Amino acid sequence: MNALEIRNLTKQYQDFCLDHLNLTLPCGCIMGLIGENGAGKSTAIKLILDMVRKDSGSITIFGQDNQKDLKLSKQEIGVVLDDVGIPECLTAKQVGNIMRHTFSKWDDVLYTNYLKKLSLPSNKPFHDFSRGMKMKLGIAAALSHHPKLLILDEATSGLDPVVRDEVIEMFGEFTRDESHSVLISSHIVSDLEKICDYIAFLHKGKLLLCEEKDRLLEQYGLLQCTKEQLSELNPTAIKGKKISPYGAQALVLRDKIPGGMNVSPISIEELFIFMVKESA
Amino acid sequence: MKGLLLKDLYMAAKYCRAFLVIVAIFLAISFFGGDNIFFIIYPTMIAGIIPMTLISYDERDKWMLYSGTLPYSKAQLVSVKYLIGLIFGGSTLLVSMAAAAVRMQLNGYFSLSELFATGAALLVLGLIGPTLLLPFVFKFGAEKGRIAFYLMMGIICAIAAILAGLGFQTILLMNQPGVLGLICGGAILLYILSWRLSILFYRKREL
Repeated sequence: MNALEIRNLTKQYQDFCLDHLNLTLPCGCIMGLIGENGAGKSTAIKLILDMVRKDSGSITIFGQDNQKDLKLSKQEIGVVLDDVGIPECLTAKQVGNIMRHTFSKWDDVLYTNYLKKLSLPSNKPFHDFSRGMKMKLGIAAALSHHPKLLILDEATSGLDPVVRDEVIEMFGEFTRDESHSVLISSHIVSDLEKICDYIAFLHKGKLLLCEEKDRLLEQYGLLQCTKEQLSELNPTAIKGKKISPYGAQALVLRDKIPGGMNVSPISIEELFIFMVKESA
Repeated sequence: MKGLLLKDLYMAAKYCRAFLVIVAIFLAISFFGGDNIFFIIYPTMIAGIIPMTLISYDERDKWMLYSGTLPYSKAQLVSVKYLIGLIFGGSTLLVSMAAAAVRMQLNGYFSLSELFATGAALLVLGLIGPTLLLPFVFKFGAEKGRIAFYLMMGIICAIAAILAGLGFQTILLMNQPGVLGLICGGAILLYILSWRLSILFYRKREL
């Protein structure tokens, strides 16, 4: 079963359009939604959670339309937003008390364990927390009701590298259970590269690609050559290029490049940058 | 909805402490206020705006967005503010009525009909703020709602002054159970209509 299926999802704003988005997140997988600021990542997440109205298309969560019994579906979803959203005056203990009466499967022991593991004080108000601590509390709250789907909107942005690594490790642990899935949006591509099974690129409201990460890394490569060598290649093999006085660098489909050429592995970040520039 | 109510009670305990002091001071002053009922009415009117205060904090803290990710319906998110209004407004009304009774005793007379008339006035003036403002706040947000709040407070004060000039309390003191019942029933009905309208507005609002 798929945790999430999005078909032809469209939302038009005055100055922005999320245009016919199609995504499938299988159960047990982590999908990274990569895009620059304003690409439509948060809009897509708000549409999934029915916080804004779609213009057209369909969204199913665990096989159920997201507009039918969403209250029930949200019992199975843990969400962490960029701004977390926990009231500033509340302590972690109070947040636990609120969530106990919010989620039917809330687990006090698990929550307390997360607080200990993440070194979060239970009686300090939220406004006294650092950005990293705030995010960690949001994650602890999102994980303590045994969700099956975790939706994270820029949950790693603004965190220092150590905390980011810690948090990413927690998401990895979460998906060790095969019924658990994660949709994580970020513009910090390196974070997503570490943990994602699937990668989706969003640019100006349009989906540039959605593919298994390993397949992407197998399919694409970075070619270093001269301008002349580049011009001799099959144009369909070239998916993006940078020409400088010192030579050419191109994003290429490996299987369409003649043997013996210098094609090196490409990172997801480089792939994203090439694709965005090519689509511009 | 218990979780939402608990969250609002925690926030009220933190942000509305000054309100308790105001109630205590105003009611204490009311004992020596003669026929002036301003000091009795004011705490109930202030209690009526507690839901708006909490919504302002919710918006500042991005709770409005976060609550949309939790398993609550928009109707529940709206209803809890009306419930908070009733809890704080209702308890302030009861305390104020008790203070009015004490004042009557201190002044050497006690009139049950006057006490009920005061209660009716408190109910109307306590409900008028949230009844008029909450739909506006749920439609446009707390910031624009704040502008409406200042306008509304001006209007309420003007209405209160006009009603006082017209002898509103005297009308209530006519002790016609029908009149009192009609006024209280009307205020409660408007509060319920305001609640339904806010749910309608909030369902249409995109977070």
